[in-house]
Amino acid sequence: MYKILIKLLKYPRAVLTVILLMTVVFFISMKTGSRMETDLDEYMPQEHPAFVYSTQAEEWFDIKDSIIIAIENKEGIYNSGTIKKIIDVTKALQKTDGIEKADVTSLYTADNIIGTEWGLDVKPFFKKAPKTAEKLQILKDNVRNNEMIYGRLVSEDETVTLIIAELEDDAFTTELYQDIRGLAAGFEDPEKIYIAGRPIVEGTMAYLGPRDMKKMVPIVILVIIIILLLVIRSFKAAFFTLLVVLISTIWTFGLMAFLKIPIYAVSTMIPVMLIAIGVADGIHLYNHLELHLEKGEVKSRSEAVSQMVYSMMNPVIMTSVTTAVGFISLLTSQVYPIKYFGLFTAFGVMSAMILSLVLIPSGIIVFGLPGWRSQKKIQIKKEVNTIPLSVWFSQKIISYKYFIVILTAVTIAFSVYGMTKVWIDSSFLAKFEKDSEIVMTDNFINSKFGGTSTLNVIFDSKNEDAFKNPQILQAVEDIQNDVENSLEVVGNSFSINDYLKRMNKVMNEDKESFNIIPATNNLIAQYLLLYEMSGDPENLWKVIDVKYNKANLTFQLKSDSSQSITSAISVIEKHLPRLEDLGVGVHYAGSGYTGLVFTDLILKGQILSLIISLVTVIVLLSFMFKNIAAGIIGSVPIIITAFIGFGVMGLFNIPLSTTTALLSSIAIGIGIDFAVHFIEQYRMNLSDKKGKIAAAELTMKTAGRALFFNAFVVIAGFIVLTFSVFPPNRALGALVSLNMATSLVGTITIMYIMLYSLNIFIKPDKGETNEK
Amino acid sequence: MKNRNILTALLTLFILIPFTVSSQNQITGEEAIYKVYNRAEGNDQSGKLVMTLINKRGDTRVREIAQFIKAYGNDEKKIMFFLSPSDVKNTSFMNWSYDEKGKNDDQWIYLPALKKVKRISSDSKGDSFMGSDFTYDDLGDRHPSSDTHNLLKEEIIDGEKYLVVESVTKDDDYIYSKTVTWIMPDKWIGYKKDFYDEDGDLLKTLTVKDYRQINGYWIITESEMHNVQKDHTTVMKLSDLKLDTGIPDSKFTERMMKRGHR
Repeated sequence: MYKILIKLLKYPRAVLTVILLMTVVFFISMKTGSRMETDLDEYMPQEHPAFVYSTQAEEWFDIKDSIIIAIENKEGIYNSGTIKKIIDVTKALQKTDGIEKADVTSLYTADNIIGTEWGLDVKPFFKKAPKTAEKLQILKDNVRNNEMIYGRLVSEDETVTLIIAELEDDAFTTELYQDIRGLAAGFEDPEKIYIAGRPIVEGTMAYLGPRDMKKMVPIVILVIIIILLLVIRSFKAAFFTLLVVLISTIWTFGLMAFLKIPIYAVSTMIPVMLIAIGVADGIHLYNHLELHLEKGEVKSRSEAVSQMVYSMMNPVIMTSVTTAVGFISLLTSQVYPIKYFGLFTAFGVMSAMILSLVLIPSGIIVFGLPGWRSQKKIQIKKEVNTIPLSVWFSQKIISYKYFIVILTAVTIAFSVYGMTKVWIDSSFLAKFEKDSEIVMTDNFINSKFGGTSTLNVIFDSKNEDAFKNPQILQAVEDIQNDVENSLEVVGNSFSINDYLKRMNKVMNEDKESFNIIPATNNLIAQYLLLYEMSGDPENLWKVIDVKYNKANLTFQLKSDSSQSITSAISVIEKHLPRLEDLGVGVHYAGSGYTGLVFTDLILKGQILSLIISLVTVIVLLSFMFKNIAAGIIGSVPIIITAFIGFGVMGLFNIPLSTTTALLSSIAIGIGIDFAVHFIEQYRMNLSDKKGKIAAAELTMKTAGRALFFNAFVVIAGFIVLTFSVFPPNRALGALVSLNMATSLVGTITIMYIMLYSLNIFIKPDKGETNEK
Repeated sequence: MKNRNILTALLTLFILIPFTVSSQNQITGEEAIYKVYNRAEGNDQSGKLVMTLINKRGDTRVREIAQFIKAYGNDEKKIMFFLSPSDVKNTSFMNWSYDEKGKNDDQWIYLPALKKVKRISSDSKGDSFMGSDFTYDDLGDRHPSSDTHNLLKEEIIDGEKYLVVESVTKDDDYIYSKTVTWIMPDKWIGYKKDFYDEDGDLLKTLTVKDYRQINGYWIITESEMHNVQKDHTTVMKLSDLKLDTGIPDSKFTERMMKRGHR
């Protein structure tokens, strides 16, 4: 391996040209072939039973996410101006592309079924805005008397009314959002108009996240460049170190485009991983080169380069291979975007490895050694300080080893406690600031109505006409009541029962005592027929199947958090035995539910892949170091990083979401890097036969210093993200920085102590430094 | 062989068209529509109606109804009894429609499980008929004076000649912006009709599947309405048709609704 490298490095210009050409090709591929995947459904594992069922149910009952437009008039909505506005906004929405005319519901489109002393009356609440006080009063009374409208389309204080526009699948675009915002703005005054609903939240997030990243990433990179220049103290070195990261990123995205794999939201984490992991190789190489040059033994460029490659090739290959294997373990995930994320990050890491071993040496040969000599003065000054510092640190660590072990144990204990408090959240709203417009609007509408989020409960039976059976319908009714009454977060529910109860009441002279499930199968069947004949039959098929063996119960929730959905589900589950006896099965559907299942899947996959990669890493390291104890010790920084990472999230109440869960992958990547570089350096130093203490001190001076630089550079860069306006990006910045810091501290304290105290590599057979 | 047939058909078409157009020149679109609207169908009619509803997934629901219709000048009374499905058996529905412009139908429903006759008031003839793809208007209730009619062309399909008439609504709020009807000029049957929604997009297509002469009247016995936007279809099939049997006026009463079909 080493020989091949050295041969290659005899033609540095050719090597640079080839790399440049490859980069150009990948860059063109990336520029021409990249495709962003924004349809969230594409992320879901389509073969998973929960998704299969939900997709089916969405088709059966035409379940779609809705945009909710609220019109508020503090003086009350019952005046001809506001009513006119309801008509105008409804019509404008019906004409908007991406919204089906029949999918807009408002007081204007709703049917009012009322019972009179002589019969049944089905008609719109109004066709034109009523002008007289008398007609407005009639409208007000009609709404108050209709449970299907009052509290659902008109708030109980009569100051807000809703217009609900169901959206076709993936019809949401930023253009549509802008259209609707513009449309709403045009109708403002004296009424206030609010826009909410899951598509809006999802859309805003898809828009805001990347936009914020675009603004922040240049600053992150700039800070990394500055800090890198400060620690490496050479423009050339900093340039090539970052070039490795940049080129490996281009190769990765170029390959993705070439293989026609779209860029998913999680794919944007690939550069994050590559920056955090990729700068390490360069820092270690240049650090080694600098320390070696200090000794003044080497004169020529190529001699220096061969020495650098000779000593650093092993740790660079070892760290990269183990990191790549760690990411490849993500292939066990059931979620395709995560599989691709793992695979392509692994490719990126391997590219960075090759580039570090080929591009950096070639760069040095062609463009000269980094200009450290010109800073000799500082160097000498530093030398006086650094050596004692690292030696001092090394000594202190060893002398306080019991204290550190206990401290580590306590930290781990705290982390485990924190981990038990970790909660999963698939909420989209939680990703926004508490005082952001989107959250405030949502709160406002939730305070006036049943809730902006929904959970669909699908009942099905093998028997046709099952949902004409009053016993079964009563069981569904009991669920509705139980969930609504026992949970604060559930504001409303809607099912076939609401139609039947309304019909029953209306057909019995509007007596409240008949606001119940009709008593017999036949009566239910006849009411349904009557509704079909007099109302809009399409409405029925949103709550019941034409064979009457499937029913859809919708709960309105005031929060889209996973907790609120699971709390509703747990109340429903209590009713399962009774339904089972009646031959009815229960499933769930809708975007809120699939979002929950999806997050859960990602987390389980993440935990599984963490365990798999940990085991693989231990095996790989044991094999590389030819020492099982070293392999286990090598995994210590990973474990500490992962434990503290999850622990901090639990203690600081940061919910686990797709992004934060993926960050645990960084723990593996960085943990391995730190452990391997340190252990390998220590093993090499031991082979000098100057004794354990000298070897340890030297390791702290060389590898320890590089690790510190590495951590410092990445932390400085990512800490910038904590100033982001978008909370998920802030969490990203904080957690990457935290992972870096814990990996560093874990490596140079507890792992160092274990390596030293357990006398690793100090056996009759001395560690060898041969290439594999 | 096939080609030659088409060729002869085309030739006949070219030779015939000038003649047919000139011979029918005096007929306007409006006259044609009135002829269809006023086509004699006897003074009364009874029979069995089988209504099949087919949704886009192909689920079908079948309803069997016994129906009785009697004309009172240009007004009409109709009573229907559900025969199946069994859980709605004997549910009955009565409709009195009036020729007078702007006067709404009177409608009653009787639910045997409730044992009550109730009046239904519905504002719009644009409402669905019994949950089908037909509206009351589609079934022939719409008065020709509500629209402006225009003879577009004559067309020959399968050797049969049709007058193609476009009817544009005079009322901006109506559910259809226009309809296009293919009329058989010898029988004055609207054989096919396209309905366009308010935005001018094709909404529904009505096709007559079967018609026959009974007691000298041309009666449509099977028709299909396909809502192309919802991909939903309703097929209506009439059988056991009896015309001019002298149905007594007492058939169209609440008492009869309660008594059910015998």
